[in-house]
Amino acid sequence: MKYMLLIYEAEGEYREPSTMQAVVQAHMKLAAELREKGILISGDGLQTSETATTVKFAADGQTLHDGPFPETREQLGGYYLIEAKDLDEALAWARRVPCSAGGGVEVRPLMVY
Amino acid sequence: MADAAGQALDAAVREGSGRLVAALAARFRDLDVAEDAFAFACAAAVVAWRRDGPPRDAAAWLYATARRRGFDLTRRARVRDAYRPDDPDPEATPEEIAMAALEPIPDERLRLIFTCCHPALAVEARIALTLRTICGLSVDRLARAFLTTELAMTQRLTRARRKIAQAGIPFEVPGPREWPERLGAVLAALEIAYAQAYEDAAGAGDAAGLAGETLRLSRVLCDLLPDEPEVMGLAASIRLAEARRPARIDGEGRMIPLDEQEVGRWDEALIDEAVALLARAAQVGRSGPYQVMAAIHGAHASRKETGVTPWLTILGLYDALMVVRPSPVAEINRAVALAKVEGAEAGLRALAAANAEGRVENFAPYHAARAHLAEQAGGIEVARGALVRCLELVATPAEQGYLRGRIARLGASTSSRTAPR
Repeated sequence: MKYMLLIYEAEGEYREPSTMQAVVQAHMKLAAELREKGILISGDGLQTSETATTVKFAADGQTLHDGPFPETREQLGGYYLIEAKDLDEALAWARRVPCSAGGGVEVRPLMVY
Repeated sequence: MADAAGQALDAAVREGSGRLVAALAARFRDLDVAEDAFAFACAAAVVAWRRDGPPRDAAAWLYATARRRGFDLTRRARVRDAYRPDDPDPEATPEEIAMAALEPIPDERLRLIFTCCHPALAVEARIALTLRTICGLSVDRLARAFLTTELAMTQRLTRARRKIAQAGIPFEVPGPREWPERLGAVLAALEIAYAQAYEDAAGAGDAAGLAGETLRLSRVLCDLLPDEPEVMGLAASIRLAEARRPARIDGEGRMIPLDEQEVGRWDEALIDEAVALLARAAQVGRSGPYQVMAAIHGAHASRKETGVTPWLTILGLYDALMVVRPSPVAEINRAVALAKVEGAEAGLRALAAANAEGRVENFAPYHAARAHLAEQAGGIEVARGALVRCLELVATPAEQGYLRGRIARLGASTSSRTAPR
């Protein structure tokens, strides 16, 4: 099954360049392992939510909104798309994703068509 | 004839439904398919057994029929999803059904229990799904036990089953790395189910019906996991608590607190069973919170033999429990034990500490304990206030009757005694 691991974190956690660097390295290490084991389909980090623009859909038309869709402290910051045997295996990988305290990694199966 | 068929079906469903649904779920990796296929087999049995008489092996007949139905259902789903269908099975003849009946039904209940109690499912769905699937409890009974409507319970179960299928929750016994967390979730589900049943001392409410089912399910788990001492610890705890049920209510339906209960009315068979389980658990030599809790129940039960409650031992056990699994309940009960050993004042101080930041302000046992100790220390007004608060928080008639009686007794003692504090 294909699972998406969605990483939600408070963006303020990465203001320190040294913290940022350490986390990027941890991600690269994990991605390398996932790739080596043939589990990784894709994965990337997103630029901060200040760069986000949302097209909002209303009954009477569309509007552009400067900012991310959910206005919460924790924002979607990156994702991994992986191939796993079952939810347990996907969760085991999710536990290994670098993520700061207070954040979370949401595991969602992809639709099968 | 109709009666014989009906009775045979009832018996087969009662004894075998958990095992049959588990085997089907493991086979098709889909709880919905398993449940639908089993329901279909039961409906088919009503017709066929009435016509031909009940088969020799009713469970095997149901399994064979349900399995065929399961293949049909999954094939239909595949066709609907535009996959190339497999070659159709020819319609099974009566002989084939009889042949299939010889095939042993695998015991997949353990796998299924772990699936139903997967931490990825909502806590309140886990035990309901387990009781529905393994014990075959009706949705209607589950709804009453968990104080919700049948519709809400159906939705809860459906959502859980759908998540199992769509999120890919496996039908597997977890590996060693996940074992502690996953076993913990299973035991917690059972514990919640029993707590629900225990709360109603009279056993008159709908939750009390869960007591028998948790006894049964915990026995099944002990058989399936003979090397897990905590499983035995929980099973022993449930038995020791349940053993007291006949003594928990007086002639007028009011609750009787543990240390005033008539030990002659405690269920000896359940106590013996629990003691044997604890002895087996001790042989493994790996202690844990459930075994400590069972030991506390066991210490109370020893009053049946010795005539006295070993409060010092109980206090020591609560100290141990506070280390391995601290909780407000344990802290309150520890305060009561401390009062027995060191006096009511010491107990009240420990209770005050337990309620730091008002943590247990909405928790009836806290107020009950506080009333008890305050009365001993001569604080009649404090005791009355605590009892009134406690009465606001309990919902079952037996407990309410008991509290009203205590409040009335306190009223009588204020006139004869002055209350300095």
